[in-house]
Amino acid sequence: MTRRWPARASISAAAGLLLASVTLTAHHEILAKFDDHKPITLNGSVTLVDWRNPHVHVFMNVRSGSQTDNWAIELESPIDLEQSGWSRDTLHPGDGVVVDGMAARDGSHQAWGRSVVVSATGRQVLNVSLTPPPMPLRPRPTPTWPDGQPRLGPAPGGIEGYWAYPSAPALVENGIVAPTDDWGLLRNITDAPKVAPLQPWALGLYVERQRRFLRDDPMYLNCKPPGGPRQFQLSAGVQFVEDRVRKRMFVLLGSGNSNYRIIYLDGREHVGQVGGDDDNPLYYGRAVGRWEGATLVVDTQGFNEDFWFTNGGLPHTSQLRLIERFTRENFDTLKYEVTIEDPGAYTRSWSSGGTLRWVADRELPRHICQENRS
Amino acid sequence: MRALLVCVMCVACLAGAAPAIAQEGHPLKGSWIGTWTPNKIHGNDVLLVLNWDGKSITGTINPGTDNMPIKNAALNPEGWTVHLEADAKDKSGNVLTYVLDGKIENLAFANSTITGTWKNQKENGTFKIGRQ
Repeated sequence: MTRRWPARASISAAAGLLLASVTLTAHHEILAKFDDHKPITLNGSVTLVDWRNPHVHVFMNVRSGSQTDNWAIELESPIDLEQSGWSRDTLHPGDGVVVDGMAARDGSHQAWGRSVVVSATGRQVLNVSLTPPPMPLRPRPTPTWPDGQPRLGPAPGGIEGYWAYPSAPALVENGIVAPTDDWGLLRNITDAPKVAPLQPWALGLYVERQRRFLRDDPMYLNCKPPGGPRQFQLSAGVQFVEDRVRKRMFVLLGSGNSNYRIIYLDGREHVGQVGGDDDNPLYYGRAVGRWEGATLVVDTQGFNEDFWFTNGGLPHTSQLRLIERFTRENFDTLKYEVTIEDPGAYTRSWSSGGTLRWVADRELPRHICQENRS
Repeated sequence: MRALLVCVMCVACLAGAAPAIAQEGHPLKGSWIGTWTPNKIHGNDVLLVLNWDGKSITGTINPGTDNMPIKNAALNPEGWTVHLEADAKDKSGNVLTYVLDGKIENLAFANSTITGTWKNQKENGTFKIGRQ
């Protein structure tokens, strides 16, 4: 006996499968999953709004002739959408919507939603602006501690804040023009040899990762920590917590696996600073720092090779050494400069950097990658 | 039908939820285990431990009693081809030079493999090793 599945059950099952597949891919490079050469417009009615990290999905029924297909429309994260004024109640089942976006590379009924417009009102909803807030007309002075040292956190007595809106989403050697998207995917793959002085194997691996649209990124696949400069390239931002009594700085992450980096400021040497594990390289390496005037200079070594140290997938080896310079140029701007020394992957040392913007009066976002909520 | 669909969904979820862990540095660095067959002198099982110091690939084949230090190695990013040479001795104490030529498959994945051919003065065959 053959039993026909009710349409609703079929749609639910399909949605379940789609949901399983999308949540496991985490907060990924969009072009790894969707093809910007496949524009698509969908006109239909909402069946479900799945408001969860790492990406919100709107499921919608779309009629095609006598057939109705259920599509999954992928959108930005709930945090990004909520910061743009949207909520889980913005759309409801039954709402008619027109979606413009790009279709999935695998031909499934999934699309990235560039634009969602409510049919009845013409109102565009669930859009996100990732541009930083406007700078004050007159730069505000850098906040300092009583001894004059710049503060990398809030002003004295100030409420929360953190650093985000990186000007450089990926590492590219100073003076080189090689545009990327927010995940470090090169706009033009032929720029790859210019990005950094890569050894041949490292260039080959970098190109391979780029050609695969960064889909193998261990930060998204395995929740690997974003060690190195990458922690300052993530849209969810970072926060500096200064422990002046114990002479160390904690760098908290707004995304990834919500762990932290420690920068020791007590004058210790690299060797032996982390008890008993000198032979156990770390995701964040071993970082010691000192203040040179208004700039915090941090020397970090001892990295493992289990992560990508920058958006875009530039390779590194355990020989990686970073010299980072943090300068709070004014209240709202943090200048980040980094020199990369890694004779295992590069032919010479090279430098890169950018700026971060202060996000005032807000707590650091809490994405938890281990829960597939990167 | 419902049970089958549930099964398919579970398998799909489990398959996706079993992330492999990759070594993201030099593609050859690490331990590789597999077989080289038919090898009557040194057995069909083979283990390679490879390292990269920034200039050259070093390492050993079958570390242990039949330790064969790699004397010549190359990785060509164009096609990810691998060439390895190592000296060993046969049961009579004569030097055997192993030459392995292969290609890295699944470069981006934790379970990348190298497949190819091997030969020495007395035998030859194929090999397949996987990264641990």
